[in-house]
Amino acid sequence: MNYAHLHLLLNHVPVIGAIVGLGLLLISFFGKNEDLRRSSYIIFAAVALLTIPTFLSGFGAQQMIKGPGVSDALIRRHEGSALLSLWFMEATGGLALVGLWKSQHAARPPRWNVLAVLLFSLLTVGLMSRTGNTGGDIRHPEMRPAAAATEAEGAIKEGPIGAMISPFEPDPDKFADAMTFSKWWWTFMMAAHFLGLILIIGTVGLLDIRIMGFLKQLPVAPLHRLIPWGLAGLGVNVATGLMAFAARPENYVFSLGLWLKILALLLLGLNAAAFYLTNIFEGVENVKAGEDAAISAKLVAASSLFLWFVVITMGRYIQPLVDTLLGTN
Amino acid sequence: MAVPEIFNTIEQTGISTWLRESQSIFGFYFILLFHTIGMSLVVGANAIVDLRILGVARDIPLQPLKRLFAIMWTGLGINVTTGLLLLTAYPTKALTNPDFYVKLTFIGLAVFLMARMNNRVFGDTGLSEAAMVAKGKTMATWSLVFWIGAVGAGRLLSETARYFFYGHPAGG
Repeated sequence: MNYAHLHLLLNHVPVIGAIVGLGLLLISFFGKNEDLRRSSYIIFAAVALLTIPTFLSGFGAQQMIKGPGVSDALIRRHEGSALLSLWFMEATGGLALVGLWKSQHAARPPRWNVLAVLLFSLLTVGLMSRTGNTGGDIRHPEMRPAAAATEAEGAIKEGPIGAMISPFEPDPDKFADAMTFSKWWWTFMMAAHFLGLILIIGTVGLLDIRIMGFLKQLPVAPLHRLIPWGLAGLGVNVATGLMAFAARPENYVFSLGLWLKILALLLLGLNAAAFYLTNIFEGVENVKAGEDAAISAKLVAASSLFLWFVVITMGRYIQPLVDTLLGTN
Repeated sequence: MAVPEIFNTIEQTGISTWLRESQSIFGFYFILLFHTIGMSLVVGANAIVDLRILGVARDIPLQPLKRLFAIMWTGLGINVTTGLLLLTAYPTKALTNPDFYVKLTFIGLAVFLMARMNNRVFGDTGLSEAAMVAKGKTMATWSLVFWIGAVGAGRLLSETARYFFYGHPAGG
């Protein structure tokens, strides 16, 4: 297994996932089917999470294949396209989470939310398809009729759709420069990343320890109402984390710390699914002051706390482990 | 301004050198990890109390949140300990950086408010929730401001260092 493997393994997930999510959402409108809409929201959130390692592995794959016979311009075009579609995918996933939160005790999420998810997922499907296409162009000359033109640096001939999208795609180097040119902006991003962490641990950590059986004087339901603050922290940290990565990918992508952190985040996604998509949450929500939560809930809370500890630990060890994965083929 | 010789003396000690140079996973980054965990405990728990006093999730009973102060003091204890170790590793780097004193000032103010809130708002079990909120509101606002300032100043340290260690000015 290397970065090219990993990228190939993951890279269809954002494209196909976004299409499946959008398909379910559209069908849910016709049937007025709330379960279907909810399913599409869950898919968007899951795909947004899986898009993160897909994006990160791309830089590793680039380092592996670059050289003679592979057009650097095509790689950069794909990277720019990914840098655009990534944000739309994450925004779609974030909006879907907001909708899922809002529809907890309501028949359906607010209208603005459904419209926003529809709009962003439509754009995401288009942009992700473009990212998939530009990625395929790197190694599949049989798919690009304009192949001759692409051999020369910077002479990429776009089709009609590509010509419409490409002006919006950032140049990867310019994006990296924009992120790093001011130490104040960089410090702002890093401080925001820490404040996001504080919000996550303050809210999710507090809920976890209460469910585990500490601070029993507190009822669970109102503590759970703090979760949107934790989700806001998560949103800040996904954004600042991805920006920092895209600014200096070579400082992160070969670090075992980064990948263990991402693995822990994916497991936290599964853990959240085990909490909310089973009957565990219903049982826990009614736990009043002084009462004990079910053992299944305690297990999920303990694994959440442990996995966040892993996320922080591995985040801190990204730097000392910076080159641990170099040359693993 | 001359850098005091004592910083050099500290940097030459075995523990300071080990903290800086050890390749062990329990070396410098281990201390830094616990400094981060301590931060998330003290600031995370304090922020929850502040936000609740300022009106977020009003149906959380306020009085039992007193228990969170134990978490805050634990986090602070971890950070004073790990902070002193980090200072032992890099005395010149930290103490010649004006931003370090900014960070310490913010922490001092935030901890002062934390103790004050612990005593005045949560210390008197006879107070009603409304009275607790009324007493704590201003403190809660400033507590958030000071903690954000402390975290921000902390993150700025590496960008503003004047020396890496004794006799080695930070480049350019």
